Amino acid sequence: MANFILRKAEPKDVSDILRLIKELAKYEEMEDQVILTEKELLEDGFGEHPFYHCVVAEVPKEHQSREGHTVVGFAMYYFTYDPWIGKLLYLEDFYVMKEYRGYGMGSEILKKLSHTAVKTRCSSMHFIVAEWNKPSIEFYKRRGASDLSSEEGWRLFKIDKQYLVKMSSEE
Amino acid sequence: MNYTVRDSTPGDCKDIMRLIVDLAEYEKMPNEVKLSHKELEADGFSSNPFFKCLVAEVPEEFKSKEGHTIVGYGFYFFTYCTWKGRVVYLEDLYVMPEFRGKGIGKALMSRIAQIGRAQGCVRMQFTVLDWNKPSLDFYSSQGALNLTAAEGWQLLRFEGEALEKLAQSAN
Repeated sequence: MANFILRKAEPKDVSDILRLIKELAKYEEMEDQVILTEKELLEDGFGEHPFYHCVVAEVPKEHQSREGHTVVGFAMYYFTYDPWIGKLLYLEDFYVMKEYRGYGMGSEILKKLSHTAVKTRCSSMHFIVAEWNKPSIEFYKRRGASDLSSEEGWRLFKIDKQYLVKMSSEE
Repeated sequence: MNYTVRDSTPGDCKDIMRLIVDLAEYEKMPNEVKLSHKELEADGFSSNPFFKCLVAEVPEEFKSKEGHTIVGYGFYFFTYCTWKGRVVYLEDLYVMPEFRGKGIGKALMSRIAQIGRAQGCVRMQFTVLDWNKPSLDFYSSQGALNLTAAEGWQLLRFEGEALEKLAQSAN
């Protein structure tokens, strides 16, 4: 099985997207962290001002998965901004179902996104990878990615809702 | 000494650019700033802005040694977490050295937290250089969690030649 298409996600894809988000979270050993709903995905990705863009990989019906799915991979991205160089494409999630790996889907998705990045005049494509995820790190490094955490010392931080509320109420 | 925190306007871009360069110098990477204030203006103040920026301003009588009244900025945009939804990303936060210790940094950050919450954001995210102890301490005191340390996330990127090469191989 080698044929598949890559296309822009549509509103009807949200349940497949959520399914794949949960599968990826499971792979990252954090599946109980996914609290996003289909309704939020729909509103946030297909409303007037989308918070994200999504590309899906689809196989023909005759190659559907064991559970009957034809949407077998996805990549979610959005545009960010680096005050030093301008627009960037940020790759948030990128996943291909296990039974569909090894056919070049991941490579094609990444190529399509980098093409989008260049077309929209982004200077760079950024993303994060868990340090234990050696297969993914190797996949990206083989294609020329540099690890900014190692090379420049960047550390990723977050401030959760309860602290945001606290901060925004203190003037 | 009093100050105000307000939304930036296109006319602030020269000052914002000045502060961006100041921050880059502090981060030991001044040669990395390639953006001009004109690009900043085009990218931040069109009908589809790629970022938002707050500035901290002091009255004329408290202007800096070089005569500036815009003395700090908070540069942010909205991103997306596939597990939880909307996120406010704090890209740059900076206050000129002579204006520190007066709560300006905290005020900029609080206002961005407030804006994030109003937009339904579940968290604020940002990166900090691992040697930047004053900032690391400040963010910890506000409830920030170092995800690189706690969960092993590494920041990667594709840029320049590597991005072009990857894009050219797309179908």
